[in-house]
Amino acid sequence: MKLKKLLCVGLATVMTMSLTACGNNASSNAVNGDQTGSKASGDTINLTIWSPTDEEPIENWWVEKLAAWNEAHPEIQVSREAIDRSDSYAYENKITTATTSNDLPDILYVDGPNVSYYAANGIIVPMEGAFSEEEMADFMPSTVQQGTYDGQLYAIAGTESSVALFYNKDYLDAAGIQYPSDSDVKDAWTWTEFYNNAEKLTTEDYVGTNIIMDKGEGLIYALGQFWTENNADLISEDGAVADGYVNSDASIATAEYLAKFIQNGYANLDPVKDEFLNGYAATMLGGSWNIADLEKSDMNWGVSYFPVSDDGKASSPTGDWAAAITKNCENVDAAKEFMNWLMSSENIAAYASAIAKPASRTSAYDQMEGWDEGARALMLWQLQNTGTARPSSPSYSVLSTDFASALLNIFSGADAKTEMDNVASDVDENYETYYAE
Amino acid sequence: MIKSKSSMKRSQTLGHVAFYLGNLIIGIIFVSPLLWMIASSFKPESDIFANMTSIMTFIPTNFTIENYMEVFGRLNIPQVLFNTLSYIAIVLLGDLLFGSLCGYALAKMKFRFRGLILTGVIALMSMPVEAILLPLYIEMAQLGWVNTMMGLTIPFMMNCFSIYMFYSYFLDIPNDLIEAAAIDGCGPIKTFFKIIMPVAKTVYATVFILDFVARWNDFMWPFLITTGENKRTVQLAVQVFFGTQPIHYSAIMAALTLASIPMLIMYIFMQKYYVQGIASTGIKG
Amino acid sequence: MANTEVKAMRRPEYKRGEKMAGSIMSLPAVLLLLAFLVVPIIYTIYYSFFKYQVMRPDSITFHGITNYLKLFGDKDFWVALKNTVYFTVLVVPIQCVLALALAMLVTSKRRGVSIFRTMYFSPQVTSMVVIAILWTILYNSSATTGLINAFLKNMGMGPVDFLNNPKTAMNSIIFMSAWQGAGYQMMIFLAGLNGIPAEQYEAASVDGATKVQQFLYVTIPGLMNTIKYVLMITLIQAMKLFTQPYIMTKGGPQNTTKTLVFYIYEQGFQKGNFGYACTAATIFFIIVVVLSLIVKKLTKTS
Repeated sequence: MKLKKLLCVGLATVMTMSLTACGNNASSNAVNGDQTGSKASGDTINLTIWSPTDEEPIENWWVEKLAAWNEAHPEIQVSREAIDRSDSYAYENKITTATTSNDLPDILYVDGPNVSYYAANGIIVPMEGAFSEEEMADFMPSTVQQGTYDGQLYAIAGTESSVALFYNKDYLDAAGIQYPSDSDVKDAWTWTEFYNNAEKLTTEDYVGTNIIMDKGEGLIYALGQFWTENNADLISEDGAVADGYVNSDASIATAEYLAKFIQNGYANLDPVKDEFLNGYAATMLGGSWNIADLEKSDMNWGVSYFPVSDDGKASSPTGDWAAAITKNCENVDAAKEFMNWLMSSENIAAYASAIAKPASRTSAYDQMEGWDEGARALMLWQLQNTGTARPSSPSYSVLSTDFASALLNIFSGADAKTEMDNVASDVDENYETYYAE
Repeated sequence: MIKSKSSMKRSQTLGHVAFYLGNLIIGIIFVSPLLWMIASSFKPESDIFANMTSIMTFIPTNFTIENYMEVFGRLNIPQVLFNTLSYIAIVLLGDLLFGSLCGYALAKMKFRFRGLILTGVIALMSMPVEAILLPLYIEMAQLGWVNTMMGLTIPFMMNCFSIYMFYSYFLDIPNDLIEAAAIDGCGPIKTFFKIIMPVAKTVYATVFILDFVARWNDFMWPFLITTGENKRTVQLAVQVFFGTQPIHYSAIMAALTLASIPMLIMYIFMQKYYVQGIASTGIKG
Repeated sequence: MANTEVKAMRRPEYKRGEKMAGSIMSLPAVLLLLAFLVVPIIYTIYYSFFKYQVMRPDSITFHGITNYLKLFGDKDFWVALKNTVYFTVLVVPIQCVLALALAMLVTSKRRGVSIFRTMYFSPQVTSMVVIAILWTILYNSSATTGLINAFLKNMGMGPVDFLNNPKTAMNSIIFMSAWQGAGYQMMIFLAGLNGIPAEQYEAASVDGATKVQQFLYVTIPGLMNTIKYVLMITLIQAMKLFTQPYIMTKGGPQNTTKTLVFYIYEQGFQKGNFGYACTAATIFFIIVVVLSLIVKKLTKTS
C-alpha cells in the first residue's frame, strides 16, 4: 500500500513537472516561430549547426566562438546542437532520419568519406565561393580532395588525421630489430619488412602488430592505404564502377597480404582495447589521436612512417569530420560567410590545439605548438606529403560497409576473390539502381 | 539413534555449505560484469584493460574518483534524470492505465472484435522496434511531432507485451468478485477502478519494472526523435563519452555505473512484487 | 457449456452495458497500437514495393514486386534467416534449462537467498555495452588477453578464436545471450516453483522418491504451464536478436552472426536501400506473426 502511494505521488509529481516542461517547449517553439517570421522581413538570419558531441575543450571552443560571432553579427545568429554520437553509426542514422522529414540543420558536420554519398543524394549543397583561391591553397590537398565531389567543394574540415607505425622500443630491442626511421620515408619499413618484423616480434606474451582499429569505417580508413600503395583503386575515379577495381588481382593480393598477419597470429582480429599501450602488441598502426595517451604513459615508444610498398610507394590515411551546408538551409550565402569565418586560420588553430589534432590549414601551424618535432611532426609531414583521401563515390556507404565485412571475412579465412567479387557486384548494383543516368 | 541424528545434522550443515558455496560461485560469474564495470569506474584509464587475465582486473589498485568528477563536470545530471524520469513517467502512465484496462476487458468482458484484438496483440508481441524505426519516424514527422515530448513518449505508451501480461493476470481473477460488485450496483468501469485495480498490485509492479527497464535502456528512439542537450536522456548522456577517438573507457564506466545503479536499487526493492506479479501471470501461459 | 449458462444466468442485466464498456476500456490501447505499431507496419509494407534510396524521399518510384524477387534471390537474406533460426533453436532450450537450474538453486527459503537472486538477475540491468565489451575480452583469441583462452592454455588446450571462427562465433553469442537473459526467465520459474504445493513433495518423499524422481514427477509436471510460457517469451525475444552481434561481431565472421533484424537494419540505414529493407521487414513480419500464432495455439491446446 505504502509502495503504491509512493508510486502514485512520484508519478503525479513527475507528470506535472514534465507537462510544465512541455509547456515551456511549446512556448520556446513559438519564439522560434517569431524569429522565422522576422527572418522573412530581413532582420535576423538564424543558422543551426549539428556536430557530434566532443571533448570538453571543443565544447568550450564552440561556446566561446559562437558567442563571439553572434556578438559581432547580430544579423546572422548561429546556434549549435551537439549530437551525442555513439561509437557506431548512430550519428549517420540521425542524419538519415532527419533527411526523410526535412529536419536537417543549416550546417552539418559529416565524416569525411560520406561527403560524396551525401553530395550525390543532394543532402548537402556546393559551397563554391565560400573561400578565396588563396584560402583554398592554404588547406591541405587531402582536405580539399575529401571535401570535393564532382569537381565542386561540398565540405571543408578544420582538422585532419593521420596514421603511422608506432613501436615498442623494448620489444624491438629484445628481438634485435633496428628502430625504423622517423626522418626519411625512404627508410620506412616496406611491406616485406613490416611482415617479417611482425613475425619476429610475436612472442607468447604479445603479438607483432596491431592493424585493426575497429571493425567498421576504421578498416577502409587505415588499411585502405595498402591498396593505394599497391596501385589498386577500390573503385573507378568517378566512383561509378567497382567491378575490375575492388576485385582486381592487385586488390586481392593486398587483402591476402594483410590476412597473413591475422592468420599466422602476428596480429589479433579482436585486439583488446589499448593493446599496444598495455604491452600486448609490439607495434601498432596508430592514429594521431593516440599520441597524447602514449605521451602520458611510461612506455618506451617510437614512431615511424606508415609502411611503404616494396617498390617504395608511400601513402597515409587522412580525413576528419567536415562542415557542409545542407539542402534545408535557406540562407546559403549567410552560411558561406559564417563558414569562411569558422574555418579561419585562427579559429582552426584554436580548435586543433584544444584537442591536439593536426589542423587542416598550413598557416594554422604558426599559431600551434608541438608540431615541429617528434611524432606530431611526422604525422604532419605525412599529411602534407603522402596523405590520400578515401575513395569518393555516391555508393560509398555500400562500399565501406561491404569492404569492411569482406576484409573481416578474408581475415577469418574466407576466399579473397569471392569476397571482393561480392563487394564489386553489390556496389555496382547500388550505383546502377540509384545513380546511373 | 543418537548417531543417526548427528549424521542428519551433519548432512544438513553440509547442505548449507554446498548451497551457499555453489550459489556464491555461480553468482559471482553472473555478477562479474557488473563488478568489473564498477571496479573499472574507479581506475585510471591505463589500468582498465591491463591484466585482463588476472583477478586484479576486479580491484582498482590505483583508486581514483577522477572519472566521476569528469562525468559530473560534463553532464547536467539533475536535468538528465529529470528528462528521463518524466519521459518514463508519461510512457508508464499510459502503459499501466490503458494496458490494464484493455487487458481486463479482453479477459473478462465480451465485446465486438474481442477475438480479433486478442489475436492481434499476440501476433504483434514479437514485432521488433528496430525494423519499424524509420517508418515510425516518418509518421512522427507527418504529425509534426519530431523533437517534441509527444513524439518521444506517445508511440511507446502502449505495447502488446503489457496488455498480454495484464490479460493473463486478470483471467484468473474470480468472477465472484466482479459479480459481487455488480450486485452492489457498480458499473463495469467503476468495478475496475474500485475493486480490480487494488487487488492487482503485483501485476502493475511487474509491468512497471519491465517497462521501466526497457525505457531506461532505450537509446535509439530518444536519439532519433529529439535533438538538443537539454533533452538528453540517460542513455544519450552516456554516449557523450563515446564521442571522440581515442575512446576513454574510464569515464564511460563511471557513467554506465551511475546509469545502472537506479535500476539495481529499484529491482532490489521491488523484487517481492515482481516475483509475485510474474507468478500470477506466468503460470497460466 | 453449463458454465456459460450459469454465467449468463447470474449476470444477465450486465450484458448490454458490458459490451459497450469492453469496447470503451480497450479503445485507448487499441488506438495507440493501431497508430504507432500497425501504421508503421503498413508503411513498411507499402514502401516494400518501391525503389527508395533513404536519402531521397522525393524520388521514390514504384517497383512492383522487383524487391521481392531480388530478396528471394539474395543469398545474404537466406543466410540471415538461417542464422536467426539457428540462434533461436539453440538459445531457447539452453536459456530455459539454465534459467530453471538457477531457479532451483535459489528457490530455498534460506537466509540471504535474495542476494543470490539479485546476482543472477544483474546481467539484465547491466548495460549491454559493458557486457559486450567484457565478453569480447573473455572470448579474445590470445591467451595473454583472453580469459577463457588463458584458462584453456593452462589445461593444455590450444587457443580458440571464439568470435572470429565461423564455426564458433554464433555459438559464442548463443552462450553469452543465454547467460545474460537467464535471470529474467529464472524469476518466472521461481514464481512457478512457489506455486507447487509443498504437500506434493512430502507425499513423494514418504513414498521413497529420490530427489531426481521428485524433480521428474513433481516439479516438472507442476511447472508445465510455466515452461510453456517461458518457452514462448524466450522464442519471441530470440527472433529479435540484434544488439549482441551488432556490438560484438558486426555480423561476421563470414555472415555467420548476421540475423534478420541485423540485415534489415544494415540495408535500410547503413546502405540506404530503404525500400528493399522494407521488403525484408515485411517477410520478417509475416514469419513472426505466423510463428507467434502457432506457438500460442500449441501452448493453449494442452
